[in-house]
Amino acid sequence: MSETITPREIPIISVEDAMVHFPVKRSQIQRLQGKPKQFVQALNGVRLEITRGETLGIVGESGCGKSTLARTLVGLLSATDGRVRFKGQDIATLVGQARRSFNRQVQMIFQDPYGSLNPRMTVGQMLSEALSVHDMRPKHAIPARILELMDLVRLPADSIDKLPHEFSGGQRQRIGISRALAVEPEVLVADELVSALDVSVQAQVVNLLLDLQNKLSLTVLFVAHDLRLVRHISHRVAVMYLGEVVEVGDTQTLYRTPLHPYTQALLRAAPSLDPAARGKNVSLTGELPSPLSPPAGCRFHTRCPHVTDRCRVERPVLTLKASGQKVACHWA
Amino acid sequence: MRWLNGYVPAITRIESMNNQSNSDGALLQVTGLNTRIKTSRGELRAIQDVSLTLEKGEILGLVGESGSGKSVTLRSLLKLMPPSAEISGSVKWQGRELSTLSSSALRSVRGREIAVIFQEPMIALNPVLTVWRQIEESLHAHTDLNRKQRRRRAIELLTQVGIPAPESRLDDYPHQFSGGMRQRVMIAIALAGDPRLLLADEPTTALDVTIQEQILKLLLNLRDELGMGIIFVTHDLGVVAQLCDRVAVMYAGRIVETGPVNAILRQPHHPYTQGLIASVPQAGDEGTPLLSIEGTPPSLLDLPQGCSFSSRCVHSTEVCRQRLPELVKLSEHQQVACHHHLHIQQQRQPEEV
Amino acid sequence: MTTLILSRSLTRSWRKRLPWPTLLGVLILLFSLTAAFFPAWIAPHDPLQFDYRAILKGPSAQHLFGTDNFGRDIFARVIYAYRIDLQIALFTTLFPMMFGTLAGLLVGFYGGIAETLFQRVVDAVITFPLLVLVIAIVAILGPGLKSMYIAVGIIYWVFYARLIAGEVSVQKRLDYVAAGQVMGYSHLRIIFRHLLPNVVTATLVYWMTDMALSILLGSSLGYLGLGAQPPTAEWGVLISSGKNFMDTAWWITIFPGVAIVLTGLGFSLIGDALAEWLRPGNH
Repeated sequence: MSETITPREIPIISVEDAMVHFPVKRSQIQRLQGKPKQFVQALNGVRLEITRGETLGIVGESGCGKSTLARTLVGLLSATDGRVRFKGQDIATLVGQARRSFNRQVQMIFQDPYGSLNPRMTVGQMLSEALSVHDMRPKHAIPARILELMDLVRLPADSIDKLPHEFSGGQRQRIGISRALAVEPEVLVADELVSALDVSVQAQVVNLLLDLQNKLSLTVLFVAHDLRLVRHISHRVAVMYLGEVVEVGDTQTLYRTPLHPYTQALLRAAPSLDPAARGKNVSLTGELPSPLSPPAGCRFHTRCPHVTDRCRVERPVLTLKASGQKVACHWA
Repeated sequence: MRWLNGYVPAITRIESMNNQSNSDGALLQVTGLNTRIKTSRGELRAIQDVSLTLEKGEILGLVGESGSGKSVTLRSLLKLMPPSAEISGSVKWQGRELSTLSSSALRSVRGREIAVIFQEPMIALNPVLTVWRQIEESLHAHTDLNRKQRRRRAIELLTQVGIPAPESRLDDYPHQFSGGMRQRVMIAIALAGDPRLLLADEPTTALDVTIQEQILKLLLNLRDELGMGIIFVTHDLGVVAQLCDRVAVMYAGRIVETGPVNAILRQPHHPYTQGLIASVPQAGDEGTPLLSIEGTPPSLLDLPQGCSFSSRCVHSTEVCRQRLPELVKLSEHQQVACHHHLHIQQQRQPEEV
Repeated sequence: MTTLILSRSLTRSWRKRLPWPTLLGVLILLFSLTAAFFPAWIAPHDPLQFDYRAILKGPSAQHLFGTDNFGRDIFARVIYAYRIDLQIALFTTLFPMMFGTLAGLLVGFYGGIAETLFQRVVDAVITFPLLVLVIAIVAILGPGLKSMYIAVGIIYWVFYARLIAGEVSVQKRLDYVAAGQVMGYSHLRIIFRHLLPNVVTATLVYWMTDMALSILLGSSLGYLGLGAQPPTAEWGVLISSGKNFMDTAWWITIFPGVAIVLTGLGFSLIGDALAEWLRPGNH
């Protein structure tokens, strides 16, 4: 069912040097003191292309900007600079009907199973709202479609009249998925979909996602911090650090032979289930620099074991390597 | 004693240290710990019949999902539960019975001999006091050092937990530290009383994976240097594999399996443990559905008569639903609570190479 | 008499389900409503009837709450005053509640300049004691219930708006609001279909407390002669009419006071019960 991806096809989403800077609120006193405006540099020139039908995993630790990226891609945040294109069009220029159409096609599922559903709307109300606002079905066909959606996410039919608090965390995530799917999107952005769930429940939700990905030929952006999970379901993986993509490539190749020192450290640090793999050395020393004033040159240079003078001044660009991976590193 | 390939714990170093504990092995011996919590909806049986032992310098992992009772177990050891909780059972610390101690006597044990670190340092640390004041408070309560000596010891402690430039950082407030650093501060405060046992309630769950690794290695080093025992609560089997010597798996308030980490991870005997391990994505299976355990854990207000796992277990039979399985000894260090564990092992044998 | 019997039998069947504070609140409310709509059922005497033969008589079987200096039955006057005082409670609070909630929703959702401006308005209003402000406005407009309604309307919406704006700014950070935006829902829909049901509890509970306070406010103004005007039976007016007789005929001032306290209590208890009942997950 999934289409073959031809290299000449334009990517369904492309991010072109997107910057998202959040101004830090200054008090009146600070303003009077003439202190300069500070910005949290959440995204700093992200370059990414997503092809139709693929599952792209985005990994990174706190402060890397993956959540900010996810929110920017669905239009919740606007890029301070650079642009995000959906099917070639700059999403910042979309207004009115075109904007609503974009929203329908690019949907998001959220991390927090407890905050992402309106506590006072039943599942049925949530879904009929989605279906009617976007004219997905004529009025009389809505109840049947709702039952279909429940079936799709493997929830019992009697869930329709229940309120969110009557469900468990894993079930709530599935309701969130059904809401997103109600408008039949082409792209699904999952922002830490299973991080708040127990391990055994995570597996259930992930399996559902795999199934849907196949059945509906979805393009999925899977933002997560669990490296094993990302490896399991993604075709390609992008690694982010301090607001930039530092490496991106095919999952197997990236996990087997990571090229960027940060990726290498990240993969080594993830606790393996094999007790024999216990090493003495720490994979990554030091602390994450403040996103208010990231280091000059390569942002990773303060913690990089291979740092050179060039790294301290010159910012590396994502370059294509022989293996097919793109790395932003002077040393790799 | 060789526990894991290539990694020999420094037992020799520990034994040569002078300690006043009982000479008969176990540092901590818990028998039949039960905690019931009174709620508006009835009585919640948070943990039942929990028994475990900890040897000197051993790291025991307590693993389970939400509702398994792992945090409650930890907190019940030192009676750190809210007043609506009723705790019963025996907790023998270095031969002394803790469960019958008066609250003031228990308070002197807490912090000095047994220290606790929690998951959210921002909540456990006082945001309006500097780090120095908080370490000093602990030192003042648990040692006889004078002010100058306390200052020096505080710097020593910060160095020991790996905080750079400790002299200047002592006067910083918790919010001026990053998440990983705050966790180190909490460990430093915990170490101030020179504890023989550290109880850790998911201290790395909220941390990034690279920072988590730093903290885990720190704990291993501290265990080697100080001979501390550690009970580490987590839901992450990877952490258990990388940190712990032994592990106890909990489900619905009971321990269902215990044993050396190596043995349990390679050959789990309880179906729940098997399910947990199987649901972790393995390299090579990409794109295929993960093995998951169907269903959800039972409510602790209304536990079934027999085995709590029976409704989700593929091997369950009538006897599982009727009778609660007791923990049986598989070997010197291994126990499992399952009626059919032998049968299940035989079934799995041909799969194991 | 019949209502009293009715309510007692209701009590018996409901006692099993409701906690006693709620029960008490409901009973008080029922009684107040009966007194407001059907005062004649409860009070046998005419509140306006002078009776020179029974001036300043203490509480007795004939006159439960005694009589005033014109021989009027205090019990009847207190009961007939329910209509006026409940009216006051409703009309003084209705506009602030509705307008305040709307303003709060908009300010809370959009934030920005609107929020800054609103903060300044709030600061200005809370600087003054409420009673002083209301009196000032009534003094300008002339005494009477209508002036009182206008005065309170102008000022009091601010408190509702502040409450709701606070609730909204908390709720709007939750992911279900973000989900609505990602769904492409209009702001109107998000504000009224998604946010309003989640903040309206705060409004309703506050409204109940507000009604209790409004009775107090209305009575205070009535006492000062700025609200309801005599000979209208209104508790504040009643208290005022008895202020010269406080040491000789205490019943003229005390019983209306008791009515104020009781009714206020009733609304408070209902407010508490409402807060509990409306929490999602409670039924």
